[in-house]
Amino acid sequence: MIVQSGMVFAPSPDIVARMIEEELIIIPLTSGIGDLEDELFTLNETGKAIWAYLDGKHTLDDVVAHLKEEFDAPDGEIKKDVWGLVEELSKRKIVIEVSRSTSSG
Amino acid sequence: MVSESFFRSESLPEYALWKSVEEKRIPFSFDLEVTARCNNACRHCYINLGASDPVAKRQELSLVEIQGIVHQAVDLGALWCLVTGGEPLLRQDFSDIYLMLKKQGLLVSVFTNACLVTPEHVKLFQNYPPRDIEVTVYGVSAQTYEKVTRRPGSYAAFRRGLDRLLEGGVRVRLKAMALRSTYQELPEIGRFCRAHTWDYFRFDPLLHLRYDGDQQRNEEIKSERLSPAEIVTLEQNDEERRISLQKECKSLDQIHPDGPGCDHLFHCGAGQSSFTVGYDGTFRLCSSLFAHGCTVDLRQQTLADAWYGLVPKVRDLRSSSEGFRQTCRICPLVDLCLWCPANGHLECGEMDGHSEYFCQVAHARAEAVSMRSSSQP
Repeated sequence: MIVQSGMVFAPSPDIVARMIEEELIIIPLTSGIGDLEDELFTLNETGKAIWAYLDGKHTLDDVVAHLKEEFDAPDGEIKKDVWGLVEELSKRKIVIEVSRSTSSG
Repeated sequence: MVSESFFRSESLPEYALWKSVEEKRIPFSFDLEVTARCNNACRHCYINLGASDPVAKRQELSLVEIQGIVHQAVDLGALWCLVTGGEPLLRQDFSDIYLMLKKQGLLVSVFTNACLVTPEHVKLFQNYPPRDIEVTVYGVSAQTYEKVTRRPGSYAAFRRGLDRLLEGGVRVRLKAMALRSTYQELPEIGRFCRAHTWDYFRFDPLLHLRYDGDQQRNEEIKSERLSPAEIVTLEQNDEERRISLQKECKSLDQIHPDGPGCDHLFHCGAGQSSFTVGYDGTFRLCSSLFAHGCTVDLRQQTLADAWYGLVPKVRDLRSSSEGFRQTCRICPLVDLCLWCPANGHLECGEMDGHSEYFCQVAHARAEAVSMRSSSQP
Protein backbone atom coordinates (compact mmCIF):
# COMPACT_ATOMS: atom_id res chain seq x y z
CA MET A 1 0.00 0.00 0.00
CA ILE A 2 1.22 3.50 -0.80
CA VAL A 3 0.66 5.59 2.28
CA GLN A 4 -0.65 9.10 1.76
CA SER A 5 -1.19 12.09 4.00
CA GLY A 6 -4.97 12.13 4.07
CA MET A 7 -5.31 8.47 4.97
CA VAL A 8 -6.80 7.45 8.28
CA PHE A 9 -5.73 4.21 9.94
CA ALA A 10 -7.10 2.18 12.83
CA PRO A 11 -6.06 -1.03 14.58
CA SER A 12 -7.30 -4.05 12.68
CA PRO A 13 -10.18 -5.94 14.34
CA ASP A 14 -7.98 -9.00 13.85
CA ILE A 15 -5.49 -7.97 16.51
CA VAL A 16 -5.63 -7.14 20.20
CA ALA A 17 -3.30 -4.43 21.48
CA ARG A 18 -2.43 -4.70 25.16
CA MET A 19 -0.28 -2.69 27.50
CA ILE A 20 1.69 -4.89 29.91
CA GLU A 21 4.39 -3.36 32.07
CA GLU A 22 4.25 -0.19 29.96
CA GLU A 23 5.00 -2.26 26.88
CA LEU A 24 2.52 -2.17 24.02
CA ILE A 25 2.06 -5.71 22.75
CA ILE A 26 0.16 -6.51 19.60
CA ILE A 27 -1.34 -9.96 19.65
CA PRO A 28 -2.70 -11.50 16.45
CA LEU A 29 -6.25 -12.76 16.91
CA THR A 30 -6.74 -14.43 13.56
CA SER A 31 -4.47 -16.20 11.12
CA GLY A 32 -2.56 -14.23 8.50
CA ILE A 33 -1.13 -11.53 10.75
CA GLY A 34 2.64 -11.30 10.58
CA ASP A 35 5.00 -13.73 8.96
CA LEU A 36 5.50 -16.30 11.68
CA GLU A 37 3.18 -18.15 14.02
CA ASP A 38 5.53 -17.77 16.90
CA GLU A 39 5.84 -14.04 17.25
CA LEU A 40 4.49 -11.06 19.07
CA PHE A 41 4.82 -7.46 18.03
CA THR A 42 5.90 -4.70 20.33
CA LEU A 43 6.31 -0.97 19.88
CA ASN A 44 8.90 1.24 21.52
CA GLU A 45 8.20 4.70 22.93
CA THR A 46 8.18 6.33 19.50
CA GLY A 47 6.04 3.57 18.06
CA LYS A 48 3.61 3.90 20.96
CA ALA A 49 3.36 7.66 20.38
CA ILE A 50 2.44 7.08 16.74
CA TRP A 51 0.11 4.16 17.57
CA ALA A 52 -1.93 6.37 19.91
CA TYR A 53 -3.08 8.41 16.92
CA LEU A 54 -3.86 5.47 14.66
CA ASP A 55 -7.34 5.51 16.10
CA GLY A 56 -9.56 5.78 13.07
CA LYS A 57 -9.94 9.53 13.57
CA HIS A 58 -6.65 11.19 12.70
CA THR A 59 -5.28 11.57 9.20
CA LEU A 60 -1.57 10.93 8.87
CA ASP A 61 -1.15 14.71 8.53
CA ASP A 62 -2.85 15.07 11.93
CA VAL A 63 -0.56 12.41 13.37
CA VAL A 64 2.53 14.25 12.21
CA ALA A 65 1.17 17.56 13.53
CA HIS A 66 0.50 16.07 16.98
CA LEU A 67 3.91 14.41 17.14
CA LYS A 68 5.63 17.67 16.23
CA GLU A 69 4.26 19.04 19.49
CA GLU A 70 5.59 16.07 21.45
CA PHE A 71 8.98 15.50 19.86
CA ASP A 72 11.84 17.83 19.18
CA ALA A 73 12.62 16.55 15.70
CA PRO A 74 12.58 17.92 12.14
CA ASP A 75 9.25 17.62 10.28
CA GLY A 76 10.78 15.43 7.62
CA GLU A 77 12.04 12.94 10.13
CA ILE A 78 8.72 12.68 11.93
CA LYS A 79 6.88 12.19 8.67
CA LYS A 80 9.37 9.53 7.60
CA ASP A 81 8.87 7.68 10.89
CA VAL A 82 5.08 7.83 10.75
CA TRP A 83 4.99 6.72 7.14
CA GLY A 84 7.49 3.97 7.81
CA LEU A 85 5.63 2.53 10.78
CA VAL A 86 2.21 2.72 9.12
CA GLU A 87 3.52 1.00 6.02
CA GLU A 88 5.02 -1.75 8.14
CA LEU A 89 1.89 -2.22 10.25
CA SER A 90 -0.34 -2.06 7.21
CA LYS A 91 1.75 -4.64 5.37
CA ARG A 92 1.31 -6.98 8.33
CA LYS A 93 -2.44 -6.21 8.54
CA ILE A 94 -2.03 -4.83 12.04
CA VAL A 95 -3.65 -1.54 11.02
CA ILE A 96 -6.23 -0.99 8.31
CA GLU A 97 -7.14 2.10 6.38
CA VAL A 98 -10.58 3.20 7.45
CA SER A 99 -11.15 6.23 5.22
CA ARG A 100 -9.38 8.67 3.01
CA SER A 101 -9.81 12.44 3.23
CA THR A 102 -9.82 14.65 0.15
CA SER A 103 -6.60 16.39 1.11
CA SER A 104 -3.49 15.27 -0.71
CA GLY A 105 -0.16 14.53 0.81
CA MET B 1 12.59 10.01 16.81
CA VAL B 2 14.47 6.91 15.82
CA SER B 3 12.73 5.25 12.93
CA GLU B 4 14.59 1.96 12.78
CA SER B 5 13.56 0.51 16.08
CA PHE B 6 10.02 1.53 16.93
CA PHE B 7 8.52 -1.76 15.83
CA ARG B 8 9.79 -5.18 16.78
CA SER B 9 8.61 -8.65 16.13
CA GLU B 10 9.77 -10.97 18.85
CA SER B 11 9.93 -14.69 19.06
CA LEU B 12 7.94 -15.76 22.08
CA PRO B 13 10.62 -17.84 23.79
CA GLU B 14 13.05 -14.93 23.54
CA TYR B 15 10.56 -12.33 24.62
CA ALA B 16 12.32 -9.80 26.85
CA LEU B 17 9.27 -9.20 29.03
CA TRP B 18 9.57 -12.67 30.61
CA LYS B 19 12.42 -11.55 32.85
CA SER B 20 10.69 -8.40 34.02
CA VAL B 21 7.53 -10.39 34.72
CA GLU B 22 9.34 -12.83 36.99
CA GLU B 23 11.10 -10.06 38.88
CA LYS B 24 7.89 -8.12 39.46
CA ARG B 25 5.73 -11.16 40.24
CA ILE B 26 3.17 -10.51 37.53
CA PRO B 27 0.73 -13.39 36.94
CA PHE B 28 1.78 -13.78 33.33
CA SER B 29 0.33 -17.20 32.63
CA PHE B 30 -2.40 -19.38 34.02
CA ASP B 31 -3.93 -22.81 33.57
CA LEU B 32 -7.70 -22.83 33.20
CA GLU B 33 -9.27 -26.18 33.99
CA VAL B 34 -12.67 -25.85 32.37
CA THR B 35 -13.85 -29.25 33.55
CA ALA B 36 -12.68 -32.25 35.55
CA ARG B 37 -14.81 -34.54 33.40
CA CYS B 38 -13.32 -36.63 30.65
CA ASN B 39 -14.56 -38.92 27.89
CA ASN B 40 -11.66 -41.25 28.74
CA ALA B 41 -10.91 -42.88 32.10
CA CYS B 42 -7.13 -43.01 31.94
CA ARG B 43 -5.50 -45.19 34.56
CA HIS B 44 -2.85 -42.63 35.47
CA CYS B 45 -4.92 -39.42 35.53
CA TYR B 46 -4.85 -37.28 38.66
CA ILE B 47 -8.10 -35.45 38.01
CA ASN B 48 -10.50 -37.12 35.57
CA LEU B 49 -14.09 -37.76 36.56
CA GLY B 50 -16.84 -39.36 34.46
CA ALA B 51 -18.01 -37.53 31.35
CA SER B 52 -21.52 -37.28 32.77
CA ASP B 53 -20.58 -36.86 36.41
CA PRO B 54 -23.46 -34.68 37.63
CA VAL B 55 -21.66 -33.26 40.67
CA ALA B 56 -18.56 -32.30 38.69
CA LYS B 57 -20.73 -30.73 36.02
CA ARG B 58 -22.72 -28.75 38.54
CA GLN B 59 -19.55 -27.40 40.13
CA GLU B 60 -18.02 -26.19 36.86
CA LEU B 61 -17.55 -22.49 36.33
CA SER B 62 -20.01 -21.07 33.84
CA LEU B 63 -18.87 -19.13 30.80
CA VAL B 64 -19.81 -15.89 32.55
CA GLU B 65 -17.85 -16.86 35.67
CA ILE B 66 -14.83 -17.82 33.58
CA GLN B 67 -15.09 -14.52 31.74
CA GLY B 68 -15.09 -12.63 35.04
CA ILE B 69 -11.95 -14.41 36.26
CA VAL B 70 -10.22 -13.98 32.91
CA HIS B 71 -10.96 -10.23 32.92
CA GLN B 72 -9.27 -10.01 36.30
CA ALA B 73 -6.30 -12.04 35.09
CA VAL B 74 -5.85 -9.83 32.05
CA ASP B 75 -6.05 -6.73 34.22
CA LEU B 76 -3.25 -8.16 36.37
CA GLY B 77 -1.08 -8.70 33.26
CA ALA B 78 -1.80 -12.26 32.17
CA LEU B 79 -0.73 -13.00 28.60
CA TRP B 80 -0.80 -16.76 28.37
CA CYS B 81 -3.63 -19.18 29.10
CA LEU B 82 -3.59 -22.96 28.94
CA VAL B 83 -7.06 -24.44 28.60
CA THR B 84 -7.08 -27.88 30.13
CA GLY B 85 -9.30 -30.33 32.01
CA GLY B 86 -10.42 -33.08 32.21
CA GLU B 87 -11.18 -32.91 28.53
CA PRO B 88 -11.95 -29.29 27.55
CA LEU B 89 -13.85 -30.29 24.40
CA LEU B 90 -16.49 -31.98 26.57
CA ARG B 91 -17.79 -28.51 27.34
CA GLN B 92 -20.60 -27.62 24.97
CA ASP B 93 -19.47 -23.99 25.20
CA PHE B 94 -15.80 -24.73 24.51
CA SER B 95 -15.79 -22.56 21.36
CA ASP B 96 -17.30 -19.63 23.28
CA ILE B 97 -14.70 -19.99 26.04
CA TYR B 98 -11.87 -20.26 23.52
CA LEU B 99 -12.96 -17.23 21.49
CA MET B 100 -13.50 -15.17 24.64
CA LEU B 101 -9.92 -15.93 25.74
CA LYS B 102 -8.53 -15.02 22.33
CA LYS B 103 -10.48 -11.76 22.21
CA GLN B 104 -9.12 -10.83 25.62
CA GLY B 105 -5.68 -10.73 23.99
CA LEU B 106 -4.41 -13.96 25.51
CA LEU B 107 -2.11 -16.45 23.84
CA VAL B 108 -4.12 -19.64 24.19
CA SER B 109 -2.86 -23.21 24.39
CA VAL B 110 -5.16 -26.21 24.62
CA PHE B 111 -4.57 -29.67 26.06
CA THR B 112 -6.90 -32.26 24.58
CA ASN B 113 -6.99 -35.98 23.90
CA ALA B 114 -8.32 -35.11 20.40
CA CYS B 115 -11.07 -37.75 20.55
CA LEU B 116 -13.85 -35.17 20.40
CA VAL B 117 -12.39 -32.88 17.73
CA THR B 118 -15.03 -31.98 15.14
CA PRO B 119 -14.70 -30.18 11.80
CA GLU B 120 -16.13 -27.12 13.59
CA HIS B 121 -13.26 -27.19 16.10
CA VAL B 122 -10.77 -27.39 13.24
CA LYS B 123 -12.39 -24.37 11.58
CA LEU B 124 -12.24 -22.48 14.86
CA PHE B 125 -8.52 -23.24 15.27
CA GLN B 126 -7.83 -22.36 11.64
CA ASN B 127 -9.54 -18.99 11.93
CA TYR B 128 -8.28 -18.19 15.41
CA PRO B 129 -5.02 -20.08 15.77
CA PRO B 130 -4.05 -21.32 19.21
CA ARG B 131 -0.53 -20.80 20.46
CA ASP B 132 -0.41 -24.57 20.39
CA ILE B 133 -2.49 -27.67 20.94
CA GLU B 134 -0.99 -30.55 22.87
CA VAL B 135 -2.31 -34.04 22.42
CA THR B 136 -1.17 -37.02 24.46
CA VAL B 137 -0.69 -40.24 22.53
CA TYR B 138 -1.52 -43.17 24.80
CA GLY B 139 -0.68 -45.76 22.18
CA VAL B 140 -0.39 -46.37 18.48
CA SER B 141 -2.50 -49.50 18.63
CA ALA B 142 -6.07 -49.80 19.84
CA GLN B 143 -4.95 -52.40 22.35
CA THR B 144 -2.44 -50.17 24.14
CA TYR B 145 -4.38 -46.93 23.78
CA GLU B 146 -7.57 -48.40 25.18
CA LYS B 147 -5.75 -50.25 27.94
CA VAL B 148 -4.86 -46.78 29.25
CA THR B 149 -8.09 -44.96 28.45
CA ARG B 150 -10.42 -47.86 29.32
CA ARG B 151 -12.84 -46.68 26.65
CA PRO B 152 -13.58 -49.02 23.73
CA GLY B 153 -13.47 -47.10 20.47
CA SER B 154 -11.32 -44.30 21.91
CA TYR B 155 -8.31 -45.12 19.71
CA ALA B 156 -10.35 -44.74 16.52
CA ALA B 157 -11.79 -41.48 17.89
CA PHE B 158 -8.30 -40.22 18.74
CA ARG B 159 -6.94 -41.01 15.27
CA ARG B 160 -9.96 -39.40 13.63
CA GLY B 161 -9.61 -36.24 15.72
CA LEU B 162 -5.86 -36.01 15.26
CA ASP B 163 -6.20 -36.51 11.50
CA ARG B 164 -8.75 -33.72 11.37
CA LEU B 165 -6.37 -31.35 13.14
CA LEU B 166 -3.36 -32.29 11.05
CA GLU B 167 -5.21 -32.26 7.73
CA GLY B 168 -6.64 -28.87 8.71
CA GLY B 169 -3.12 -27.52 9.15
CA VAL B 170 -3.58 -26.94 12.88
CA ARG B 171 -0.25 -27.24 14.58
CA VAL B 172 -0.27 -29.96 17.18
CA ARG B 173 2.42 -30.94 19.63
CA LEU B 174 2.36 -34.62 20.49
CA LYS B 175 3.52 -36.07 23.76
CA ALA B 176 3.36 -39.39 25.58
CA MET B 177 3.11 -40.76 29.06
CA ALA B 178 5.66 -43.40 30.00
CA LEU B 179 3.42 -45.86 31.83
CA ARG B 180 3.55 -49.54 32.65
CA SER B 181 0.72 -49.94 30.12
CA THR B 182 2.55 -48.08 27.33
CA TYR B 183 6.12 -49.15 28.12
CA GLN B 184 6.46 -51.83 25.43
CA GLU B 185 5.04 -49.57 22.77
CA LEU B 186 6.93 -46.40 23.72
CA PRO B 187 9.54 -46.60 20.96
CA GLU B 188 6.77 -46.86 18.39
CA ILE B 189 4.77 -44.10 20.10
CA GLY B 190 7.89 -41.91 20.02
CA ARG B 191 8.35 -42.50 16.28
CA PHE B 192 4.70 -41.71 15.62
CA CYS B 193 4.86 -38.51 17.67
CA ARG B 194 8.08 -37.30 16.06
CA ALA B 195 6.60 -37.89 12.62
CA HIS B 196 3.49 -35.82 13.32
CA THR B 197 4.37 -33.23 15.97
CA TRP B 198 4.85 -29.68 14.73
CA ASP B 199 7.94 -28.94 16.80
CA TYR B 200 9.17 -31.48 19.32
CA PHE B 201 8.14 -34.56 21.20
CA ARG B 202 8.41 -35.16 24.90
CA PHE B 203 7.37 -37.92 27.23
CA ASP B 204 6.61 -37.82 30.91
CA PRO B 205 7.40 -40.74 33.23
CA LEU B 206 6.42 -39.05 36.50
CA LEU B 207 2.86 -39.62 37.64
CA HIS B 208 1.05 -37.47 40.18
CA LEU B 209 -1.39 -38.97 42.62
CA ARG B 210 -5.05 -37.97 42.62
CA TYR B 211 -6.07 -34.55 43.90
CA ASP B 212 -9.15 -36.09 45.50
CA GLY B 213 -7.10 -38.73 47.33
CA ASP B 214 -9.16 -41.58 45.85
CA GLN B 215 -7.31 -44.60 47.24
CA GLN B 216 -8.32 -47.08 44.57
CA ARG B 217 -7.32 -44.69 41.77
CA ASN B 218 -4.06 -43.91 43.56
CA GLU B 219 -3.20 -47.60 43.64
CA GLU B 220 -3.84 -47.74 39.90
CA ILE B 221 -1.56 -44.75 39.36
CA LYS B 222 1.18 -46.34 41.45
CA SER B 223 0.84 -49.54 39.46
CA GLU B 224 1.44 -47.53 36.26
CA ARG B 225 4.66 -46.00 37.57
CA LEU B 226 7.84 -47.29 35.99
CA SER B 227 10.75 -48.36 38.14
CA PRO B 228 13.62 -45.87 38.60
CA ALA B 229 15.81 -48.08 36.39
CA GLU B 230 13.22 -48.13 33.60
CA ILE B 231 12.82 -44.36 33.76
CA VAL B 232 16.56 -43.83 33.58
CA THR B 233 16.89 -46.20 30.63
CA LEU B 234 14.19 -44.33 28.73
CA GLU B 235 15.71 -40.95 29.52
CA GLN B 236 19.25 -41.94 28.66
CA ASN B 237 18.06 -43.32 25.32
CA ASP B 238 16.35 -40.04 24.47
CA GLU B 239 18.95 -37.51 23.39
CA GLU B 240 16.95 -34.36 24.19
CA ARG B 241 15.97 -35.65 27.62
CA ARG B 242 19.51 -36.79 28.36
CA ILE B 243 20.97 -33.37 27.52
CA SER B 244 18.33 -31.64 29.58
CA LEU B 245 19.08 -33.85 32.60
CA GLN B 246 22.78 -33.22 32.21
CA LYS B 247 22.11 -29.51 32.41
CA GLU B 248 20.12 -30.02 35.60
CA CYS B 249 23.01 -32.02 36.98
CA LYS B 250 25.48 -29.20 36.56
CA SER B 251 24.21 -27.82 39.86
CA LEU B 252 24.29 -31.15 41.66
CA ASP B 253 27.12 -30.20 43.94
CA GLN B 254 25.42 -27.02 45.05
CA ILE B 255 23.55 -26.85 48.31
CA HIS B 256 20.41 -24.76 47.96
CA PRO B 257 21.33 -21.07 47.65
CA ASP B 258 19.39 -20.23 50.81
CA GLY B 259 21.68 -22.53 52.73
CA PRO B 260 21.17 -25.65 54.79
CA GLY B 261 19.35 -23.77 57.55
CA CYS B 262 16.45 -22.71 55.34
CA ASP B 263 13.08 -24.05 56.42
CA HIS B 264 10.96 -22.52 53.66
CA LEU B 265 8.82 -25.06 51.85
CA PHE B 266 8.60 -23.27 48.53
CA HIS B 267 11.60 -22.75 46.33
CA CYS B 268 9.78 -23.63 43.12
CA GLY B 269 8.06 -21.29 40.68
CA ALA B 270 4.54 -21.82 42.05
CA GLY B 271 2.78 -18.49 42.29
CA GLN B 272 5.78 -16.56 40.98
CA SER B 273 4.38 -15.74 37.55
CA SER B 274 1.67 -18.34 37.07
CA PHE B 275 -1.35 -19.89 38.74
CA THR B 276 -4.17 -22.36 38.12
CA VAL B 277 -7.93 -21.92 38.12
CA GLY B 278 -9.70 -25.17 38.93
CA TYR B 279 -12.92 -26.24 37.23
CA ASP B 280 -14.90 -25.22 40.30
CA GLY B 281 -13.25 -21.80 40.62
CA THR B 282 -10.57 -22.85 43.08
CA PHE B 283 -7.42 -20.75 42.84
CA ARG B 284 -4.21 -22.74 43.18
CA LEU B 285 -0.57 -21.69 43.00
CA CYS B 286 0.09 -24.51 40.54
CA SER B 287 -1.85 -27.36 39.01
CA SER B 288 -0.83 -29.79 41.77
CA LEU B 289 -1.13 -27.75 44.94
CA PHE B 290 -4.39 -28.72 46.63
CA ALA B 291 -3.19 -28.60 50.24
CA HIS B 292 -5.54 -27.15 52.83
CA GLY B 293 -4.99 -23.44 53.35
CA CYS B 294 -3.20 -23.04 50.00
CA THR B 295 -6.29 -22.41 47.87
CA VAL B 296 -9.12 -19.91 47.71
CA ASP B 297 -12.51 -19.92 46.03
CA LEU B 298 -12.60 -17.38 43.21
CA ARG B 299 -16.38 -17.40 43.44
CA GLN B 300 -15.93 -15.76 46.84
CA GLN B 301 -12.71 -13.77 46.50
CA THR B 302 -11.07 -11.75 43.78
CA LEU B 303 -8.07 -12.93 41.84
CA ALA B 304 -6.12 -9.94 43.14
CA ASP B 305 -6.89 -11.05 46.71
CA ALA B 306 -5.59 -14.51 45.87
CA TRP B 307 -2.50 -13.30 44.05
CA TYR B 308 -1.43 -10.56 46.43
CA GLY B 309 -2.92 -11.94 49.64
CA LEU B 310 -2.83 -15.73 49.64
CA VAL B 311 0.20 -16.44 47.46
CA PRO B 312 2.84 -14.59 49.51
CA LYS B 313 1.52 -16.25 52.69
CA VAL B 314 1.72 -19.71 51.14
CA ARG B 315 5.15 -19.11 49.71
CA ASP B 316 6.32 -18.07 53.15
CA LEU B 317 5.20 -21.35 54.75
CA ARG B 318 7.94 -23.22 56.60
CA SER B 319 8.55 -26.75 57.66
CA SER B 320 8.85 -27.70 61.31
CA SER B 321 10.10 -31.17 60.39
CA GLU B 322 13.71 -31.70 61.35
CA GLY B 323 13.79 -34.73 59.05
CA PHE B 324 12.76 -32.62 56.07
CA ARG B 325 15.27 -29.91 56.84
CA GLN B 326 18.04 -32.47 57.03
CA THR B 327 17.04 -34.35 53.86
CA CYS B 328 14.87 -33.03 51.02
CA ARG B 329 15.44 -29.36 51.87
CA ILE B 330 19.17 -29.61 51.42
CA CYS B 331 19.27 -32.40 48.86
CA PRO B 332 21.50 -31.44 45.94
CA LEU B 333 19.42 -33.70 43.69
CA VAL B 334 16.26 -31.65 44.17
CA ASP B 335 16.25 -30.52 40.53
CA LEU B 336 16.15 -34.15 39.42
CA CYS B 337 13.36 -35.03 41.83
CA LEU B 338 9.60 -34.77 41.48
CA TRP B 339 9.37 -33.72 45.09
CA CYS B 340 7.83 -30.34 45.72
CA PRO B 341 5.42 -29.20 48.44
CA ALA B 342 2.43 -29.98 46.19
CA ASN B 343 3.57 -33.50 45.37
CA GLY B 344 4.73 -34.05 48.95
CA HIS B 345 1.15 -33.33 50.00
CA LEU B 346 -0.36 -35.61 47.34
CA GLU B 347 2.02 -38.44 48.21
CA CYS B 348 2.06 -38.24 52.00
CA GLY B 349 -0.58 -35.73 53.11
CA GLU B 350 2.16 -33.34 54.25
CA MET B 351 3.86 -30.74 52.11
CA ASP B 352 7.19 -31.63 53.68
CA GLY B 353 6.51 -35.36 53.28
CA HIS B 354 9.13 -37.66 51.83
CA SER B 355 8.46 -39.96 48.87
CA GLU B 356 10.84 -42.87 48.69
CA TYR B 357 9.91 -43.46 45.05
CA PHE B 358 10.76 -39.89 44.00
CA CYS B 359 13.99 -40.16 45.96
CA GLN B 360 14.97 -43.38 44.21
CA VAL B 361 14.23 -41.88 40.78
CA ALA B 362 16.34 -38.78 41.55
CA HIS B 363 19.29 -40.87 42.72
CA ALA B 364 19.05 -43.21 39.73
CA ARG B 365 19.01 -40.21 37.39
CA ALA B 366 22.02 -38.65 39.09
CA GLU B 367 23.92 -41.90 38.96
CA ALA B 368 23.18 -42.38 35.25
CA VAL B 369 24.28 -38.86 34.37
CA SER B 370 27.39 -39.10 36.48
CA MET B 371 28.33 -42.50 34.99
CA ARG B 372 27.83 -41.14 31.50
CA SER B 373 29.94 -38.03 32.26
CA SER B 374 32.80 -40.08 33.73
CA SER B 375 32.79 -42.46 30.75
CA GLN B 376 33.10 -39.58 28.29
CA PRO B 377 36.58 -38.38 27.37
